[in-house]
Amino acid sequence: MTAVVVDNVTKVFNQGRSDEVTALSDVELTVGDGEFVSLIGPSGCGKSTLLRLVADLIQPTTGTVTVAGKSADKARRDQDYGIAFQQAGLFEWRTVLRNVELPLELRGLKKAERRAKAEEMLALVGLADFAGHYPAQLSGGMQQRVAIARALAVQPPLLLMDEPFGALDEMTRERLQTELLGICAKTGTSTVFVTHSISEAVFLSTKVVVMSARPGRITASIDVDLPARDEAARQSEKYFEHVTAVRQALRGVPAKSAT
Amino acid sequence: MRRTLYVLLGVAIFAALWEGYKLVGSPDGTVLFGVRFLPRADDLSMPHLWTVLQRLGRPELTGGDPVWIVVLHACAFTFGITAVGFLGGALVGLLLAVLMQQFRIVERGLLPYVILSQTVPLIAIAPLMAGWGGTIMPPWATVSVIASYLAFFPVAVGLLRGLQSPTASGVELMRSYAAGWWRTLIKLRLPASLPYLFPALRLAGAAAVVGAVVGEISTGTRGGIGRLIIEYSREATSDPAKVYTAMLGAALLGLFVAGVVSLLEVPLMRHRRHVEVVTL
Repeated sequence: MTAVVVDNVTKVFNQGRSDEVTALSDVELTVGDGEFVSLIGPSGCGKSTLLRLVADLIQPTTGTVTVAGKSADKARRDQDYGIAFQQAGLFEWRTVLRNVELPLELRGLKKAERRAKAEEMLALVGLADFAGHYPAQLSGGMQQRVAIARALAVQPPLLLMDEPFGALDEMTRERLQTELLGICAKTGTSTVFVTHSISEAVFLSTKVVVMSARPGRITASIDVDLPARDEAARQSEKYFEHVTAVRQALRGVPAKSAT
Repeated sequence: MRRTLYVLLGVAIFAALWEGYKLVGSPDGTVLFGVRFLPRADDLSMPHLWTVLQRLGRPELTGGDPVWIVVLHACAFTFGITAVGFLGGALVGLLLAVLMQQFRIVERGLLPYVILSQTVPLIAIAPLMAGWGGTIMPPWATVSVIASYLAFFPVAVGLLRGLQSPTASGVELMRSYAAGWWRTLIKLRLPASLPYLFPALRLAGAAAVVGAVVGEISTGTRGGIGRLIIEYSREATSDPAKVYTAMLGAALLGLFVAGVVSLLEVPLMRHRRHVEVVTL
């Protein structure tokens, strides 16, 4: 079964008004199970819009979105995905643990059950010792890790991330990238990851989807096969080949398929 | 400890100003261009503070209870009215705020009237409400209605602001959890509104005291501190310290209510007290 199928989707904002904008035009996207797909493109290319369509936070004007074999609306109601935004968006009145418990609470899990699960997730992102802290006491990188733990808490088959590391410094960013890959490998989660960093997209993804703006559409889809994804991989020739391919695709040079 | 010191310091400064003015001020007041610029400093207008305190200890009428007991009883009576008015007003304010947050059209339609309600002179509507006493509610309850009329306003406006404070991503997060209106309200909007709610409640508490005191006077309800101020002020020419004892009671009542309201926030604002940031 495929995790996400976006079929011929067009999204028009403010339809019929003078400020009508076509955010996405005829978009086709498939995310297979266990795949890590990055959406990359200039601002205004509709990559966040596409993510929000998959999350059913907005609805397509035409076309259909299928998540885990169901309609996007049904998938959202079944909590078939976890989501993380650029801003961690933790609830400041809840402790770290209770923040991670939130989606479990809304699912109606028993207290002991959700506590155990949340603790497990915090251990996964390396914050087990900070369960009792409040978000305001944590650094930006730690808050973002809590947000990832929260997104993973219901163990969704699909993880949606909208520039989750965008506001972090380069060092924290690279460390969290490695952690995220580890977590995805461990949990077998499929991921759709929005970014505007080429290196981040290539390092993380099995497929990089390049988009262009006005109207937003997909211009290239580049498969990335790195033998390993560790610190050494960041220096490998193959890695730079892919980075070049993505860069050329972004500039509109016809992408020669990376092999 | 330090706070207590500051409070005592404030009282001391007030006492020094009062007695200092009595010392240097003209007993007939200072008149500039035919207007009395500074008040009279004679014992009839400004009794010595110790006279006021002494008056508290002496009987109200010959052979009656000491004044401090009478004032305390009156304050307790008014506190009851204030508490009912405060709770009623807070409840109405809460309902209005939730309605206005949920329905944009209600906010547009209702908010101007909510603001307008506070510009209507209380003295004008109090007699109308006084008419309800004894028929649909006991007379003291009409004073509570007046108190709640003043108290609901800060809660409605402050809480509306608080309910609207969550970021778009917070609201989207709740949507991604398939949480409906009610659960978004309980889990996100209400907790997020607390920093806005508590200052509003403090204002509402003060407004409820004012409403209760003024309401007692304009509806002619007996037994409370507002009525006592009026009664004692009639004796001001012969017993000037007496009216000040009642005013002191009203002021202390206001402080007491403010204190009780701020106690509410202690258990709910725990997260605001930890500020040190860990970096890892």
